[in-house]
Amino acid sequence: MAPFTTVSPHASTSVDAALKLMTLKVMISSRTLESKLSSLYKAGKIVGGVYLGTGQEAFSASLGCCLDQELDIFAPLIRDQAGRTGFGEPLIEATRTYLGSVLGPMRGRDGNIHRGRPAQRRPAMISHLGTSVSLVAGMLMARRMRGELKGVVGATCVGDGATSTGAFHEGLNLVAVEKLPMVILVADNQFAYSTPRERQFACEKLIDRAKGYGVAGSEVDATSLTACLEVISGAVQAARAGEGPQLVVGKLLRLCGHGEHDDASYVAKRLRESNLGKDCLEVGIQEVLDEGLVSEREINEWKREAAERVQEAVAAAQKDPTPDPYQEDWKAVSEEGMQ
Amino acid sequence: MSVTYIDAIHQAQLDLLKERDDVFLYGQDIGSFGGAFKATQGLQERFPDRVLDSPISEDAMVGMAMGAALSGMRPIVEMQFADFSSIAFNQIVNHAGTHFYRTGVPVPITVRLPCGGTPGSGPFHSQMVETLYAHYPGIIVATPATVSDAYHLLKQAAVLDDPVVFCEHKFLYRWLKTEAIEAEPLPLGLARIARPGKHATVVTYSAMVHEAVRAADRMADEGWEIEVVDLRSVKPLDTDTVIASVARTGRLLALGEAFPWGGVSAEIVSRVVAEGFHLLDAPPMRLNAKDTPIPYHPDLWAAHRPTPESIIEKLRELLNL
Amino acid sequence: MPSVPIIMPQLGESIAEAKIVRLQIAVGAQVQADQEIIEVETNKATMAVTTLCGGVVTEIRAEEGVDYPVGSLLGILEASQEEVARTGAPVIGEQKEESAPADKEEVNLHFRQTDKSYEEPKVVEPSVKGLPVPAGMKGAHYISPRMRARMCELGLREADISAIVGSGAGGRVTVDDLEKFLDYIADWPHSAASPMRLAVADAMRRSWSRPLATVGLPVVLDAVLAHRAQQSPKPGLTLYVLRAFAIALAEEPATAGFLIGEKIVHPRAFDIGVAVQVEDGVMVPVLRNVDQLSVQELTEEYGSLVDEARSRRLRAEQTQGGIATVTNFGTFGLKWGTPIPLPNETLILGLAAGIKKPFWSEAVGAFVPVTETELCLTFDHRVVDGGGAGLLLQRIAALLQEPEKL
Repeated sequence: MAPFTTVSPHASTSVDAALKLMTLKVMISSRTLESKLSSLYKAGKIVGGVYLGTGQEAFSASLGCCLDQELDIFAPLIRDQAGRTGFGEPLIEATRTYLGSVLGPMRGRDGNIHRGRPAQRRPAMISHLGTSVSLVAGMLMARRMRGELKGVVGATCVGDGATSTGAFHEGLNLVAVEKLPMVILVADNQFAYSTPRERQFACEKLIDRAKGYGVAGSEVDATSLTACLEVISGAVQAARAGEGPQLVVGKLLRLCGHGEHDDASYVAKRLRESNLGKDCLEVGIQEVLDEGLVSEREINEWKREAAERVQEAVAAAQKDPTPDPYQEDWKAVSEEGMQ
Repeated sequence: MSVTYIDAIHQAQLDLLKERDDVFLYGQDIGSFGGAFKATQGLQERFPDRVLDSPISEDAMVGMAMGAALSGMRPIVEMQFADFSSIAFNQIVNHAGTHFYRTGVPVPITVRLPCGGTPGSGPFHSQMVETLYAHYPGIIVATPATVSDAYHLLKQAAVLDDPVVFCEHKFLYRWLKTEAIEAEPLPLGLARIARPGKHATVVTYSAMVHEAVRAADRMADEGWEIEVVDLRSVKPLDTDTVIASVARTGRLLALGEAFPWGGVSAEIVSRVVAEGFHLLDAPPMRLNAKDTPIPYHPDLWAAHRPTPESIIEKLRELLNL
Repeated sequence: MPSVPIIMPQLGESIAEAKIVRLQIAVGAQVQADQEIIEVETNKATMAVTTLCGGVVTEIRAEEGVDYPVGSLLGILEASQEEVARTGAPVIGEQKEESAPADKEEVNLHFRQTDKSYEEPKVVEPSVKGLPVPAGMKGAHYISPRMRARMCELGLREADISAIVGSGAGGRVTVDDLEKFLDYIADWPHSAASPMRLAVADAMRRSWSRPLATVGLPVVLDAVLAHRAQQSPKPGLTLYVLRAFAIALAEEPATAGFLIGEKIVHPRAFDIGVAVQVEDGVMVPVLRNVDQLSVQELTEEYGSLVDEARSRRLRAEQTQGGIATVTNFGTFGLKWGTPIPLPNETLILGLAAGIKKPFWSEAVGAFVPVTETELCLTFDHRVVDGGGAGLLLQRIAALLQEPEKL
């Protein structure tokens, strides 16, 4: 029941209209789903935490939509609901994981955004930032060893905070050494939880690091859907064409707390009202309206449809069985007798 | 013609590369240089695409291996020294170790850890780390003590579907020899009676098996028959064989080269006391290395880890209870 | 109409409660799904509580300015069946279909979310059961490893603490009880026990672990005494009894058997010990092949063994290998006793003092004086029963009436 399919991932750099509209549709779906998840959390239905990507949808969805769902690898992080949806993750996987359904991909054993289906080239992230960079590198190197790398792109997303980890550095360096067809998105969203970027790194721009690692780099105003699609589709195509790793830094502001337990009161009003604080969803809608690609009525119809689909996914997941500790096998290894 | 412990590890990797297209080796200096201990000598020449040098990035090495494993390969990662696996700790325990339980998809990686002390290696090239990895769910920890086990356990590890931390002891690399590798391997997960006895049981693994057997040989001159159990893998831990041995002898000494706080020897005592309290004639005892970093000077080093002398002393105490 | 709960959410991983800042709805209010209806404050963050579905507020159970624990029921909505179906919202009093059977309601989770509140589970059953640990015995019979260690340190045995009333679990004697008892007796007069005393104590303690019983039979000794008077040197009276005992046992060897597990271990030879009182103890030299040698043949050996025992010159092997013992406590004038067999023997035969008694003789037609004694046999009742012991005594008594055959 994948609601979205990739449109022309191999298209030319000039962003075609169908891709843009589909990406916008993905953004609307993602925003709608995340608002609902927030609401369920605040009504006491979701335990643990809810982590949203509000304000990062254009950046994340552009990557998900530019990748080939049948071939590529996508390792998202916590603010990539839009990218996940764009890469074909069904909504029900999100609601089932958040609500602890045994029918979801994590079966109540892990929750919220820690979900994935590795067999479908969607690794399940862990909380430790930067670990997915080398993971995707390994998935690509396996293909290279078997002679199956041609035309495949691996992609992962991190935030500005993750760039401070050893794992990110080790991973990106490895990707560069191996010249892998990989796209690494850094959402420079100004805060890692509550820590501002000045306390996270000292270089003027994160993209300056690309040269240091020996990878191609580009920076984009991530509040603009058009800009995001242009830069990210370019990066994906370059990687696919054998031009090596691509580091893309998106400039934006996280428009939510670190999680829904966090009211983000530490974000200055000045910053929220700056260009960085623009809502990419509103900007994206305006962009497609300005280009005359779609009418306002159609967009409202998309929103209504998204709300309906999200509601269905939530209602379905709530009816699912939850894990039974008495039936749980408590097995941490697949081999018999090895625990 | 004799085979050393390091020869066995080399041979196992060569055979795996020959027998299976999905096996590859990854590590620092393992390519044309052949590895810091020559465990991969000449292998890159024969398998240039499947014996790869890595950057000095232990975290990324394991992350990469895990990604490759999820894409159908069976990587064997060589840590230059077990001590450096601390950099890869997160990838091993949190990423690979949790993966099967979380997703239902196993991660068939093998991480080779050259561990344990040799004289003069000092605090950062001598450590035993099996306890750390055994503590975490989802990881198998093999600790071969013999040449044949070094060969067979590595071959078994590489084809298991789950992450295996393979603790190979550096002191045994060239010191331990055998005429030929045994044809019939014991499966991973079963312990072995290294030396039969009836007065007390020493449960141990890796290089300490040899120190325990030496201690037992010397005590045999005085009429004491000491049984030595070689665990072969500390996870899974073959509790049945341990309990059966304690049932025969009534006395237990759990021996390890690792640091003394917690750990495998404590786990053995805990299991025996919990499941076999009624089998004991005396309180179970433990002997481990000292609770300091591992010293550089050979004389200090030799006194830091258990020796036949300290094992005998401990056994005498145990036999007098 | 289904009732849907309004619950205090878990707003943060370490949050246990939150304060209601403002109620944005009143009873009777119409609300939409996902509507923010209550403003709450946790440590520093201000958040909103939302509705799970649309409906009418029928009850508010919370007040502004008050803290409520996570999971508290803050109010109730009434919603239509269609709205509940659309949103999948939980309904108060309606059980969700669970994969677990209903009798497994209590589960091993830190908190159990129900539609009403979060409750701590009452009982958590262990999922894995260990082997049984044999620690259920009560009273002084059970000595904990700690107690046993203290006893070893003091050189005490179980019997030594029999006088102590335990205050521990199930009446166990605790280390504290022991120390108090030792303090209590510290000022009493005392003397050191000799090695011989301790050796006897140890043997008797080990022997006493078995169910011992004693039976007795009077026997007339005149035939033996008459026979003895004609011999030179004169054999001891005990030697006649020893010899009769050995012959009787050789006829029924299992009677002297030793029970080990499920086996009766039979005697290999009928070597019988004789208890000899020495200073501060007892020694038991053993006579070999008593069933095969006559009283005359045994006399010399018997005499020298007794002498060596009295002078404490017995070698260890001279006290080993016996299958039963004879003790003549009659030499102390005693008329009845319950001797205790050695720990490695099943039987001990006691001989009491001989006394002159009137005996009706049919031949003489009058009372005549006879010398009578009591034979007392103590046996391990696991091996021998009262009947078997009685037959054995009868046989010994009969043999003693024909001393020339001994």
